[in-house]
Amino acid sequence: MKKTILFLALMAVILLSAQSSYSFRLDKFLEEVTKPPPEPKQQTSQEPAKAAPQNQPKQPEQQQGGGGLIGLGESLGVFDKKTSNILKQSVGTLQAFQPIGLEEEKAIGGSLAVEVFNKFGGPYKNPVLQNYVNLVGKSVAEVSDRPEIDYHFAVLNTDAPNAFATPGGYVFISAGLLRLLNNEAQLAGVLGHEIAHITHKHALQTLQRGKVLSGLSGLTMAAMDQDNNLFDQIINEVSEVLFTRGLDKDLEFEADKFGMEYAYRMGYHPEGLKNFLKILGKSQRRESSIFLSTHPSPASRFQQLIGLLPQYKGFALYPVLSKRYKTTVQGQL
Amino acid sequence: MTSNNTISRRSPLLIPLLTLLLFGLGFASKISAQTLYVKKSGTKLQASESARSQVLTTLNQGTPVQVVKKGKRFYQVSAGGKTGWVFKFRLSATAPQKSGGDAGLLGALGGRQKIAAKEASSGSSIRGLSPIAEKHAKKKGISETDIKAVKQMEAFRIDPKELDKFLKEGKLGEYGQ
Repeated sequence: MKKTILFLALMAVILLSAQSSYSFRLDKFLEEVTKPPPEPKQQTSQEPAKAAPQNQPKQPEQQQGGGGLIGLGESLGVFDKKTSNILKQSVGTLQAFQPIGLEEEKAIGGSLAVEVFNKFGGPYKNPVLQNYVNLVGKSVAEVSDRPEIDYHFAVLNTDAPNAFATPGGYVFISAGLLRLLNNEAQLAGVLGHEIAHITHKHALQTLQRGKVLSGLSGLTMAAMDQDNNLFDQIINEVSEVLFTRGLDKDLEFEADKFGMEYAYRMGYHPEGLKNFLKILGKSQRRESSIFLSTHPSPASRFQQLIGLLPQYKGFALYPVLSKRYKTTVQGQL
Repeated sequence: MTSNNTISRRSPLLIPLLTLLLFGLGFASKISAQTLYVKKSGTKLQASESARSQVLTTLNQGTPVQVVKKGKRFYQVSAGGKTGWVFKFRLSATAPQKSGGDAGLLGALGGRQKIAAKEASSGSSIRGLSPIAEKHAKKKGISETDIKAVKQMEAFRIDPKELDKFLKEGKLGEYGQ
């Protein structure tokens, strides 16, 4: 019983002392509590902020710690071994599939980006358009919910009105879709939709629910390096979803919602995406659009966005920048 | 009392109490002051509630700032001993995430620690098409042109000054209404 009281007192003292810092965070504190003991110094120091060189042997992705708060409780005698094991198993179940890390995400997204160029017309080689789409895209990405990764934007050389996002920050818009747009706010809305797929990791979520990763507890570069088939299967599965079957309808609606939000945050008129959907729904070229065949109908998306508009106030004077759009794009397509 | 005694035998309320204590204190600390975090390095801390005002300093990604006052599009914040105004959408309620990982509550409870490089990688530190992606493309017979197109897409950079000018001309971001 004394050990229990000691354990609780220790927790309370540390937590209360942490109150003096306004930026105290429980999860950070718990990380500190559960930090493994420092490893013996090696001859070469590792910089934690840099990715491991590709040619070095991969370290195992995770190690099952005997520590953790539960482990600490066990060592202090608060929990007996049986209770501790039950608690660890419960946590383990909740941890069943580790989130896919950025390095793995970029490997998957980069591979899919190559496929986008391969399947949908290759790059539209025009530096003015590339610069402009990057300016609009990066502006919107910077106010998104995941601004810390690098976003890359490219124009595809196809008349079909298409737009794609692949994990890790790759966004594509076709020359055909640019021809349909009337202003920069619409472009910001479309790019916002694609950025939202990346910020909310829609393709990765779908992959994690799919058959290729079922039974795996996590996905690592080491595992993909060792098993070429695994990477092939992953790319085939995501490719099928993104380019043929389409993401779940709800994920598309979510991307519309956040796409509109991100454009609004950057100061664009929030109706840009909605107005583009109206144009797309009436377009003669809609039949050739993957953006259309893999998505819910423009009419249903349009209706959803109308329902979301009341939350935005005072945007009537927000810019749509049709003059800048036309001046920049005119003569380039 | 033997060492085999379980916590539940000693006090069935101990686990709920411990949980309540941990969460209660954590919650109390969060509502005592609003701390926000800078989304991206280079975020400007300005002298007044306007993008055209003097830039006091630039803030790095993840810098915690204390909110002093909330305006329509700018928040007055203090950071590193300076007080100024930041465009509110360049701030986030949560610190920018490291990649992936479960270093949060579950990780802490289970003592599961990530040790691979990806844990420490920030978004901008992983650059270039992954070798595994390139190998996959070549195996599928995808042309070098398409692989090169992705590499060019990744290498394309926008000068922050050009981006700032673009926003200013369009009355966007901090230059907006």
